[in-house]
Amino acid sequence: MDTVTINQPAAAAIFDLLKQFITEVIGEEFAEEMDIRPSSSFTKDLEMDSIEIVAFSEKVKAHFGAHIDFTGWLSGMDLDQLINLNLNDIIHYIQQCR
Amino acid sequence: MPVIQVNGKKVHIQELNKGAAETVVMIHGMFSNLSVYYFNIAPVLARRFHVVLYDLKSHGMSERAADGYDLDSMTGDLRALMDVLGLDKVHLVGYSFGALIGLKMAMHFPGRIHGLAMIEGPDPADDRTRGFMDAYNRDSLEHYFNTTKVRIGRRQLERSHRMYEFLFSQTSIKKDMLAERDLFADARLTALAHQPLLIYGNRSDCLEAGYFLKDHIPGAVLVEIGGDHDLPVQAPEQVAAVLMRFLVGETMTV
Repeated sequence: MDTVTINQPAAAAIFDLLKQFITEVIGEEFAEEMDIRPSSSFTKDLEMDSIEIVAFSEKVKAHFGAHIDFTGWLSGMDLDQLINLNLNDIIHYIQQCR
Repeated sequence: MPVIQVNGKKVHIQELNKGAAETVVMIHGMFSNLSVYYFNIAPVLARRFHVVLYDLKSHGMSERAADGYDLDSMTGDLRALMDVLGLDKVHLVGYSFGALIGLKMAMHFPGRIHGLAMIEGPDPADDRTRGFMDAYNRDSLEHYFNTTKVRIGRRQLERSHRMYEFLFSQTSIKKDMLAERDLFADARLTALAHQPLLIYGNRSDCLEAGYFLKDHIPGAVLVEIGGDHDLPVQAPEQVAAVLMRFLVGETMTV
């Protein structure tokens, strides 16, 4: 198995960015009510539906551009994986691509 | 969020692999949105094709509309969308009600499409969809979500409820659906120039419609996959693989 080294300051910066994207998608009012953490899952914890995750994905793609194949990465997941997807998974993925 | 103006309304679209020579336009079903294709199916097709996904009016992130839910209006919207994107001729993939939009397009504007794949297209004469609309209330929605895999939070329940409330009580959708009852009896069905691919779940309530279409459209090919009406969510890899084989086969004849 590959060893993934997580750069903590970089992870924190990516988390802040993802949190900002989520806030933009679901609206500040709802985001304030949510306790958005790296371990938060999109569907269960943040209550985001699939079209909101599409909007979120578009923001990730627009920001990181050609460095990552975000849609390609998501396309390899089944329904259970998508339901359980959390912010940490994305932070790790983005760090791996760098 | 890419939003374009079509027939005076804002339409949310997503495009993948824009540079590809041929385009596949994918139409989602009623009460759904383009995310049904976005995560698993569209990326597979985009390895070869330019893929366009769009949210139907009042669905997903497209603008609301009070009327125009009949198939003529819906195909009109589709043609207008193709015009705005500069697409003269495309491969069409439709799911559920979106499959009926695709079918109507093939029957009335065959020159605008290379071919058609219908996933779980229902018989519009089947009263169950309208039964759902008539019986709809907030409790039934809550019950429905409690019986599905994804447990839904308050905010999502409210969002879904608002969409259903709007569609069922402030738009012409019920009347427009009723007007489409005779689609399968249209003589143009048996004279269809395209040989569509029909994908149905082997446990689907709509499978009978699949058999009917296979028997009445010359050259139609029916593929059954394990699942029910939610097939694109239940078996996205299989649906994508079957679509890809069909679309690549079509490109040989384009």
